[in-house]
Amino acid sequence: MQRLFEFVVRYRNYITLALLVVISFSLMSVGELSRLGGFRAVVVGSIGWMQSVFAWVPNPVALQSENTALRELNLQLSIESARYRQAMVENATLRSMLELLPHTDYSMIAADVVGKTTAELRNFATINRGSVHGVEMGMPCITDAGLVGIVVGTSENYAVIRLLENRDTRIAARVHRSSVDGIVHWQGDAFLSLKDVPKNADVKAGDVVVSSRFSTRFPANIVIGTVAFVADVENSVFQRILVRPMADASTLSQVFVVRWQPDPERVALEDRVVQRPTDRGQAGGGR
Amino acid sequence: MSTYFSMSMFDNPALRYLAYAVVALLLSVVHMVFLKYVSVQSVTPDLLLLLVVWAALMEGQYVGMIVGFGAGLLFDMLTTDVLGSNALAKTLAGFMAGYFYREGMGLATIGSYRLLLIVTFTGFLHNLVYFFFYIKPMQTSFWEFFLVNGVATTLYTTVVATFPMLLVNRRNEW
Repeated sequence: MQRLFEFVVRYRNYITLALLVVISFSLMSVGELSRLGGFRAVVVGSIGWMQSVFAWVPNPVALQSENTALRELNLQLSIESARYRQAMVENATLRSMLELLPHTDYSMIAADVVGKTTAELRNFATINRGSVHGVEMGMPCITDAGLVGIVVGTSENYAVIRLLENRDTRIAARVHRSSVDGIVHWQGDAFLSLKDVPKNADVKAGDVVVSSRFSTRFPANIVIGTVAFVADVENSVFQRILVRPMADASTLSQVFVVRWQPDPERVALEDRVVQRPTDRGQAGGGR
Repeated sequence: MSTYFSMSMFDNPALRYLAYAVVALLLSVVHMVFLKYVSVQSVTPDLLLLLVVWAALMEGQYVGMIVGFGAGLLFDMLTTDVLGSNALAKTLAGFMAGYFYREGMGLATIGSYRLLLIVTFTGFLHNLVYFFFYIKPMQTSFWEFFLVNGVATTLYTTVVATFPMLLVNRRNEW
């Protein structure tokens, strides 16, 4: 017993290190904090309140960036507006000829961004709308420019959005012009990456990328970004495609939460299928 | 800082741990609420790493690890990420920083350029471990990601470490 005690005292640091490492790995196996239940709502509410208290403090870099982005967007929108007016007329005519149903419009909740959290490259935004306003986990968030993220935490009056610039971003997407499907990932810088697109697929710089109808997390046809770069990769059957996000996370000030939830029956079925042991290698998760 | 910790209330180890916990909580809140104003391309300094290095240099490897684990766990909880990833990285950072501990020489180390070298060294190790787990769900090259973001975060943290270094340096001169 005495020798054991001496051993523990002598190697106290190494034993403590081993213990803490084991505890850390055990906690990692627990997974996301969402599994800790109500604690997360307390964290979201407290941090949201603090960020809203200091929301009046201006961020000159962000303001300058926002100003530039808005000017560009304004120019772009004025050009597109003229095109859309013409297209709407044509669309209405053609739809009536084909007897198609009108597009579905989603109900939205407008919210102000009261805080942004950049914690070791994890980008989140806090908005001043929460569960009492109808915001729920998993709802997509957009701006006038396009998709910005997804709600990952709510308290009564606040919600946290996980922005596109996040390691967990995986969105089933489609190139609007050519209907080529792929998966959008964040690759750690200003661009997103459209993966799993074969070399022979028709993708060009400037193409608009939208959410796919295959997505179980986002409604179809929400603009994600534009293709900025396309290149062949040696020894690969896929192309390297970089997508510039349409919505600039650094300039977010207002967002809309889309009151949309995936069909639970479809999600349950797909989850059940991809969790079968033989199919685990194909599990995409969270698209 | 030894003058702060030589005050009677900090002679009690429990109170010292409590003080570290309070400082860790304050730094976490500062990180989440205010660091967006000084972020460069989403890169921010790691204030909690500085606290861990400080604790390790002042009190040794054991306390450095405990503070690292506690501060990392707190940060994981507040930043809604995988629980344990920061705790692991900061525990290892506290362990490595503890190798530079010299009894009674904590302030001398912190007040010298050695602090910057220690922060750079432990920062690299911390980010190597952290980004290894961070990048796992992403389909991108670990080294490419680490060389851009890990190095940037380490350098930014080192730059911020000059403030406590200069502060302690001046106090030592008094």
